Amino acid sequence: MIAIIGAGPAGLAAARAIALAGFAVTVIDAAQKPGGQYWRHRSTVDGYKATRSEKYFSTVMGNPLVTYINGAQVWSATRSEKSIYINYLQSGVEKRLTCTDLILTTGAYDRSLPFTGWDKPGSMTPGAAQALLKGHGVIAGKSIVISGTGPFLLPVAVGLAAGGAKVEGVFEANSPLRWLRSPLALLLNPEKALELLYYLKQFRRYSIPVRFGKAVTEFTGHSVRISDVNSDMTIKKTNVREIDCNVIATGWGFVPDITLGGILGCNQVVDKDGTVVFSVDNNQRSSIENIWIAGEATGIGGSDLALAEGHIAGLSVIGKRIPFSLNFSKFRKRLFARALQVSYPVNPGWKKWLNRQTLICRCEEVSCGQILDSVEELKAEDARTSKLFTRAGMGLCQGRICSRNVAEIIGESKELRVSDSERIAYSNRPIAAPISLGTLGDGISSK
Amino acid sequence: MNSKVNFTFNGTQYSGEEGQSVAAALLNSGVTSLRSTRFNGEPRTIFCGIGICFDCVVKIDGVANQRACLIAITEGSQIESSQ
Repeated sequence: MIAIIGAGPAGLAAARAIALAGFAVTVIDAAQKPGGQYWRHRSTVDGYKATRSEKYFSTVMGNPLVTYINGAQVWSATRSEKSIYINYLQSGVEKRLTCTDLILTTGAYDRSLPFTGWDKPGSMTPGAAQALLKGHGVIAGKSIVISGTGPFLLPVAVGLAAGGAKVEGVFEANSPLRWLRSPLALLLNPEKALELLYYLKQFRRYSIPVRFGKAVTEFTGHSVRISDVNSDMTIKKTNVREIDCNVIATGWGFVPDITLGGILGCNQVVDKDGTVVFSVDNNQRSSIENIWIAGEATGIGGSDLALAEGHIAGLSVIGKRIPFSLNFSKFRKRLFARALQVSYPVNPGWKKWLNRQTLICRCEEVSCGQILDSVEELKAEDARTSKLFTRAGMGLCQGRICSRNVAEIIGESKELRVSDSERIAYSNRPIAAPISLGTLGDGISSK
Repeated sequence: MNSKVNFTFNGTQYSGEEGQSVAAALLNSGVTSLRSTRFNGEPRTIFCGIGICFDCVVKIDGVANQRACLIAITEGSQIESSQ
């Protein structure tokens, strides 16, 4: 029995490949609807090439070979020599799925950087604004500023403007000239130029200003302050502009969700952008023989790459040969993903925006000053020790939002590079979703 | 057009569209804070929007720590700010 965890582009591409070859597959997903975080399909405003997802929905959903389990929060997984056991909660009921082969397509979430006021209502991730709009038909605010880095800011801005919000501006920290460093990636992905043209047209249509080398460094609750930033992300000139808005969406790339593969013991490595990802072979197979991993959890690359990787994982699971064209497609999309890392880095200077009062851990309300004191006065040497002193990263989110930032703040204060082993340590957690102690006990005892 | 769903938040009547999350329906109704933080009493609401950050946790029909961004509104449900 083959199971796939995640019904985003990678999971659906894998399921499609398996079902079209005549094999049965079970797809298990936390959301009510398939599509993952990227393919949300409620709104009439769907963006560039939105209809592409229909091919996957129509061949996967309703296919008699595909069992689709939705609204299922997988909280843990264990394995024996031949089988993998997936523990999940569906409408509060504990359930377990057993499979022989597993494809993990667990996706990613927005990376957030702290700044003064980022904890105030109205400050959110671009992903949240996108989810509200496309998933729930709600525009996050009347007047919106978007800031951070990366191409994802573009569709979010266009979606919000098309939905009726006033997008006051997109403030991209990096310079577009950085793309000149990746000529081969651009040459091999010419369709990306069309995508860019599409967005430029939309930006003109909705009169959305785009500025480079700038970042939002403060949110007052009803306005943002913009600073000019250098390429290392330090501030060149502070508070160059103040813009009234009731929503500020900031995103600094993505964090792969690696919890489940980590629990199962799949090998992880630190990617060039500092994110922790799984190491997989050419066929997307992980270090464990019957587990394949595709999409963002093997390196942030976007939906195009996720589709190719999911397709390859699906074919590999059922023992099919991977056609050259598919491998080449993955190669050029992987090259583009590398170019994205080069073009939209989150360089270390962002820590200079912080002051002692800036909140770092939202859950436990730990300030930058408290973290620095744990290093200076209590001699914490890493994020784990600081966490024991300050509780940073010990709240409900289990450090998903702050742990990387805490580690990098401590690293800089001690003038040390954050080691790969520390990055892997703070990126993993023993349980993938909060559960009651009773569920945890049952899950362990019914092994 | 989706059908209308009625619910209460801290005793006040609200409504949203069927399928909308608690956080989305309340934001659309002009509610800007779902809870106050434990230590500093600061207002919080939706931040990550996809169930990662737990900033939007509320009590729904007596069950605490539910993520308002993930749970869909249901007719007659009683939602309260988490303490």
